[in-house]
Amino acid sequence: MRTRVILATAVALAAGAASAGCASADREPARSAAESFYAAVTAGQGGRACALLAPEAAASLRSGGQGCEQAVLELDLPGGAPGGAEVWGDEALVRLARDTVFLHRFPQGWLVRAAGCRPRGALPYSCEVEG
Amino acid sequence: MRRFVRDNALSLFFLGLFALALAGQSVAGTAAYNDRQLAEGGAPVSWAGYVTSSDFAVDVAENWQSEYLQFLLFILATVWWVQRGSPESKKPGKEGPESDADQQVGPHARPDGPAWARATDLRQTLYGNSLGLVMGLVFLLSWLAQSVAGLAAWNSERLSRLQDPLSWWGYVTSADFWNRTLQNWQSEFLAVLSMVVLSVYLRQRGSPESKPVGAPHRATDVEG
Repeated sequence: MRTRVILATAVALAAGAASAGCASADREPARSAAESFYAAVTAGQGGRACALLAPEAAASLRSGGQGCEQAVLELDLPGGAPGGAEVWGDEALVRLARDTVFLHRFPQGWLVRAAGCRPRGALPYSCEVEG
Repeated sequence: MRRFVRDNALSLFFLGLFALALAGQSVAGTAAYNDRQLAEGGAPVSWAGYVTSSDFAVDVAENWQSEYLQFLLFILATVWWVQRGSPESKKPGKEGPESDADQQVGPHARPDGPAWARATDLRQTLYGNSLGLVMGLVFLLSWLAQSVAGLAAWNSERLSRLQDPLSWWGYVTSADFWNRTLQNWQSEFLAVLSMVVLSVYLRQRGSPESKPVGAPHRATDVEG
């Protein structure tokens, strides 16, 4: 009896861990948040774009008297059509045609943690904005 | 009820310790996880959120797999190898699976022994190796759980550091997976080594894991 309990627990642990890691239902909200951010920047709506940034990322754009609303519109964010997305825990990555976006899940939903990111091999991505 | 508790006190004691330690790990783990989340600009999670996360699962599974591996190897290695003077070992000369008469199987089975010990077909082989088989199966499942939960936890960490996530194969050949695995294995192997060797020379009065206090150091297969 005890053996069966241990086996069932180990299987449940593996299944739970797998579902925690590969939650495909989470990909769409993350992709949609990335698209909304780029759409706001393209439309010149700096305030709306900043509201979709994670607090640390938004704060990193405030410098020299310039607010996030202006700074976000001056970033080099080529974007493009959304491709694949991956969600692991509370972190997500959305690939766009010309750059990559990283997001974090907050209580209010997915917010952009880094955008305008380009790969650097084994090193972390180099991003236009990150926080 | 009282008799049940007395007859099963050892199992109940360890079941209670296991539950308390796991509960403590979940509370301390939630606090440590939220500490990291806040430092990295993320949002803290609830206790329920943490205990269903891959971070908690990998921490639990990596310890489980190493414990079951330890006992699996202990069970199998003591079939074939002895340590003179250790109460954990058989007497020198008895290495191997031993005779049917020694093991009370087939025609040598006792009338009150397990039914599958009386069998002369595959059931006897299966039952005769059932402890190792189950410990080995739990070890493999726990190790698999560690790899899956570890992949999820590691990829979450990689994404928070703005790095690409890995595939399962990429993870099980990564430094993180083997660092987690080997740091647990080395401590388990050291603990078994200590138990086998120290029990030759040291005693714990009343414990069946020790020889009787007055037993000579060279006496093997004697439990106190």
